This record gives sequence, C-alpha cells and structure tokens, in this order.
Amino acid sequence: MTPFLQITGIAKQYGPVMAVKDVNLTVDHGEFMTFLGPSGSGKSTTLYILAGFEQPTRGDILLNGKTILDTPSHKRNIGMVFQRYTLFPHLSVGENIAFPLKVRGWSKAAITERVRQMLSLVRLEGFEDRKPVAMSGGQQQRVALARALAYDPPVLLMDEPLSALDKKLREEIQHEIRRIHQQTEVTILYVTHDQEEALRLSDRIAVFSKGVIDQIGTGQQLYNDPSTRFVAEFIGDSNFIDTDVVSVNGRFARLALANGAVIDGVPTHGTDFRQGRASLLLRPERIDLRLGKSEGVLPGAVREITFLGNHVQVSVDTQLAAPVDVRLPFGHAALGGLAPGLDVSLDFKIAETHAFQLEDRVPAS
Amino acid sequence: MLLNFNSLGIWKWALLTITVLTAAFLLMPILFIAALSFGSSQWLIFPPPSWTLKWYGALLSDPRWLEAAWTSFRIALIVTFFSVLIGLVASFGLVRGRFMGRSTLRALFMTPMILPVVVLAVALYAFFLRIGLNGTTTGFVIAHLIVALPFSILALTGALEGFDKSIEDAAVLCGASPLRAKLQITLPCISHGLFSAAIFSFLTSWDEVVLAIFMASPTLQTLPVKIWATLRQDLTPVIAAASTLLIIVTVLLMLIAAAVKKGLKA
Ligand SMILES: Nc1ncnc2c1ncn2[C@@H]1O[C@H](COP(=O)(O)OP(=O)(O)OP(=O)(O)O)[C@@H](O)[C@H]1O
Ligand SMILES: [Mg+2]
Repeated sequence: MTPFLQITGIAKQYGPVMAVKDVNLTVDHGEFMTFLGPSGSGKSTTLYILAGFEQPTRGDILLNGKTILDTPSHKRNIGMVFQRYTLFPHLSVGENIAFPLKVRGWSKAAITERVRQMLSLVRLEGFEDRKPVAMSGGQQQRVALARALAYDPPVLLMDEPLSALDKKLREEIQHEIRRIHQQTEVTILYVTHDQEEALRLSDRIAVFSKGVIDQIGTGQQLYNDPSTRFVAEFIGDSNFIDTDVVSVNGRFARLALANGAVIDGVPTHGTDFRQGRASLLLRPERIDLRLGKSEGVLPGAVREITFLGNHVQVSVDTQLAAPVDVRLPFGHAALGGLAPGLDVSLDFKIAETHAFQLEDRVPAS
Repeated sequence: MLLNFNSLGIWKWALLTITVLTAAFLLMPILFIAALSFGSSQWLIFPPPSWTLKWYGALLSDPRWLEAAWTSFRIALIVTFFSVLIGLVASFGLVRGRFMGRSTLRALFMTPMILPVVVLAVALYAFFLRIGLNGTTTGFVIAHLIVALPFSILALTGALEGFDKSIEDAAVLCGASPLRAKLQITLPCISHGLFSAAIFSFLTSWDEVVLAIFMASPTLQTLPVKIWATLRQDLTPVIAAASTLLIIVTVLLMLIAAAVKKGLKA
C-alpha cells in the first residue's frame, strides 16, 4: 500500500545556510504528527516546502504516491494555520471562512451552510459578522482553523499557531484542536517547540535537530527509548553522566562511573563508542533515593532541596563531576528526614538508563 | 517624557508664542493672497478698501482660465493613475524582491526628490524637443510622473512593509492565485498607502510649476503656468482668485488625507 504522505530526502539551502539537511518522514492518513525541535532546526522550512512557498533543493514529497512539488501552492488544496494572525482584516469572520469556498466557485447556499458548520465546529456560532480586529487572539486562531478546514483539505499544516497566546488559553485551544482532529479525521502536521504541547496533541512526534529528524515516535517511545542524547534532553528532564566504556556487548554496554562503580547491561542503540567514553542518561524521576550511606550504586550528600508543587527536586553531590538531580513524588518515604548535608544513596534500574555518544552535544536553544 | 509641556512654567508661554509666530509666518502669504482676492481694489491695495466677489466672477467666466484649470486637473488625474500603478509594481519589487542592488535601486527611485527640478526640466525639455513631446499632454504627464513617483513609491513601500505577507500566503493556500490574492486581499489591506500615494501624486502634479513652464505651449497650460504667465503681463486680482482656488483644492485634499489617516488609526 502506498503511504498517505511521504517526505523523502528533503533539503533546503538558503545561500550558505542549510535550513533543512535531510528530512525523511511517512505520515498516515488521519494522523496527528508534530514537528518538535529548537529554534532554527528547520521545522517551519519543512512545513513551507509542503505548502509550496519554498521549493526544496533536493528530495520529494508524495501525497498518495504522487509528487506535489510541481503543483503551485494555490492548487495544492492544503490547509494552513500560521503563527501570526492571518485573518483578512477587511473581511468579516463569515467572509473569511467563505473566501476559499468562493475561490472554488461554490454556490451561495452551499457557502452559507458550510460557514455555519465551520463556525459551530470551532464553537464560534454567532460571530459571523464580527471583524477580526474585534476578536481575541485565541478566537482569531479558531477562525483561521475554520477557514483552513472549510474546503476539506487532505492535510492541515499548523506552524506554532498558539505561541502568541498565554498558557491557560493555549491549553484550552489545544483541547479544541484535539477534538476537531478527532471529529474531522484530517491529517495534521503541527510545529511547536513546546514539548508539553507536542505530548498532549500528537499521535507521533518527529524531533528536529539542525535540519534533520533525530527520531520519530510516540511521546512514550521518545521518553522511554530516546535514540540520541539530543532527544533525551528535549523530551523530559535528564541527568547526563560521563562514563568510561569497559566493554560493549551487542546493544548493551558495561560502563565505569567516576566513583569506581561499574554497571552492566546499559542500552546503547548499537553505538560502538569508539573513543571509549559514553554519556549515561538518568531520568530524575526514575532515580530512587534512600537515607544513609549504603552499598547503593551512587552514594552522596544532599546539596539542595526544592519544593515544586506536586514533587520535590533534590540535588545530590556524588563523587561524579556534576550534582545529580532526583525528583521525588510528594509524600515519598525519604522526604520526612531529608535535609541538606545528609548522607543518601541513589539507585536506579539499569534497563531504564541509556548510553549515548559523548560528542552528541545539544545546541543552545 | 523628558520634556513635560505643562511643567515648563514661563517657558511654556515662550514656546507657545514661537509656535504661533511660526505658523503665522508660514500662513501669512496664503492669507494675504486670499484677502486680496476678495478685495475691491484693482491695484491689489492692502488692506482692501471694500470686499467683492467680482474677481471670482471674472475668473469663472473666462474660458482661458477654465481651460487651464481643466488641463491641470486632467493631467493631475492621469499622473495619479500611472503614478499609483507604476509605484505599486515597483514597490512590490522593492519590498518582496530578493536581488542584488535592491537598496541601491530604492535610493535611485528617490533621486527626483532631491535633484533640482530645474535641472530635470532642462533635460526633459531638450529630450522632448527631439522626440516632439513638448507642449503635449503626454510630455506633461511624463514630466510630472517623474517627480510624483518617489512620493508614490515611498507611501506604497511603507504600506507593503507594514503588511504581513503571511496574510497573502494564507489567501494563496486558500486557493487564490497569487494575482487574485494580491488584488482581493493585499490591496485592500494597504488601501491607506494607495490613498496617500494617489493624493500626493495628484498634488505634486497639481501645483507643480517649474516643469510645467518648460512643458507648456500657448495652447496647453496648467493653472500654475497660467498664473505665472498672466502675472508677467499685468497685475490683476483675478490672479489672486485663481491662486486661492488652487490652494483650496490642495488644502481640501490634504485634509482628506489627514482624515483618512486618522480614521485608519482609530
Ligand atoms: N528565507 C530564508 N533565508 C535565509 N535563511 C533562512 C530563511 N528561512 C529560514 N532560514 C534559516 O533556516 C534555518 C531554519 O529555519 P526554520 O524557520 O525552518 O526554523 P524553525 O525550526 O521553524 O525555528 P523556529 O522555532 O524559530 O520557528 C534557520 O537557521 C533560519 O535562519
Ligand atoms: Mg518556525
């Protein structure tokens, strides 16, 4: 079966800048796919190539097996909601939603009916005659969504549509978008650099880094099984510990920590660690903390305790280069007697750790 | 604010006086000529011995004056049309284009604003003499277009730069061809720029005299040229009446432009 949407080897060069280096991606019909990545990683550029505003330097985009690159933007029948507010300011809300339908030569009656449907889809019944200036940012983006969906596009592109809104409103509209996605079954490609938004909305997430996709997967896959240090750092919180590689056995490694402890069976994703060093990922919330010195893997002393609402963050000095952050749920047994300076020991399940290449550094974002 | 007007004390009055005097200085000639146009004295005596409308009567019943006014109006309209049209195309190129020497080209478009008009007039006169455009409407229009275009381009590049291209992109993705998106979405969004461009182009042509003197023939004269030519023959209050009418049209257009600008901000 031919995939619904297929992006193969897309690259885009602006003068000396490679905005997108090599993006490969397959999207299923009706899927909610999010592009997540730091500023400048090429998310928008990829979206703009899909929209037809930019021609790729290399690569192809196939929709139902046919290339769309030789179709101009206005004939691609793709919907898009932009980061900035793009309602036509001289037209009313109703006329904005009607615009793509008028262009397509729909009859007056059909347009009126469709505009009504779309307004009810985005829960803005009765706003038909409002001018965009008389609406809040959140309302404007919902109208923009209604306009982009009015002509039933096979693909809807959204480039950080909520980034100008405040947190509470953003969450509210995220729910709306999720509901509308389920209701319409449109395929959505959504760009954001907010991991929480990505996790909340998406079926799958493509993590962008410097013009390539580092990993594609569900939020859980990315969190549990990151394939690069960059992905690990971008999804969820992380401690990275420099270690020496003792040996590699298939997809697992034996690592020596700076305090002399040796751990075996660390998942590696098949990296061969030629330079003999590795970066060990420990998720703060996957580390257990016990009071007192014991034979645990990582003995240390409490450096700082920070109360963060539903959890407590404990920073622990060990014999490693940097302090290790531990996240304990509120009400954890060890919290009662915890105070800065106390001896503690840290423990973790080796199967939940990961070893990455050392030089796999994250760019400042 | 560094300087608060109300806390200036005595200086407040000094500032106010200077402002009023400056305004009076600028307006005096205009008020003077307007007063003379209503005065009864044939010899332009000031203050006028009594008031009359007879010079306006003379002006409006003289076909030569009417024809000059009509010529001015007609030429200004044609200039306005082409100035906005060419200015629009040029502005899209200057604002949206990605090519080498874009800023140089932009500066080049502004040169007629700083070039002495008389230099331009002499050059055009010599050139038009060869191709037979002197004394023709086409000659007038081309000459005035050259001085009107910078204003038009200035207004339109400004409006286009303030317009978020994403809005046009959205229209294109909605299915409108790039041309249709520009006509139906972008142009209405920059209507204030189009309007300023039109008014300034019209006014540039309407009260332009230097180029007009070079381009004019005995049968084709604009109002400013007619005033100038009449003034050299005899000093009649009809000239004052004509000047006043010229000024009234100018002021009216300026007021409309200001009102539109204010309406857009509100
Ligand atoms: N028209 C352009 N000309 C030159 N360089 C460009 C252009 N558009 C994008 N770039 C560059 O390409 C790179 C990727 O840009 P892009 O907008 O795709 O990033 P992004 O992932 O969307 O980032 P953000 O989160 O900031 O929106 C950046 O380094 C950017 O400076
Ligand atoms: Mg972007």
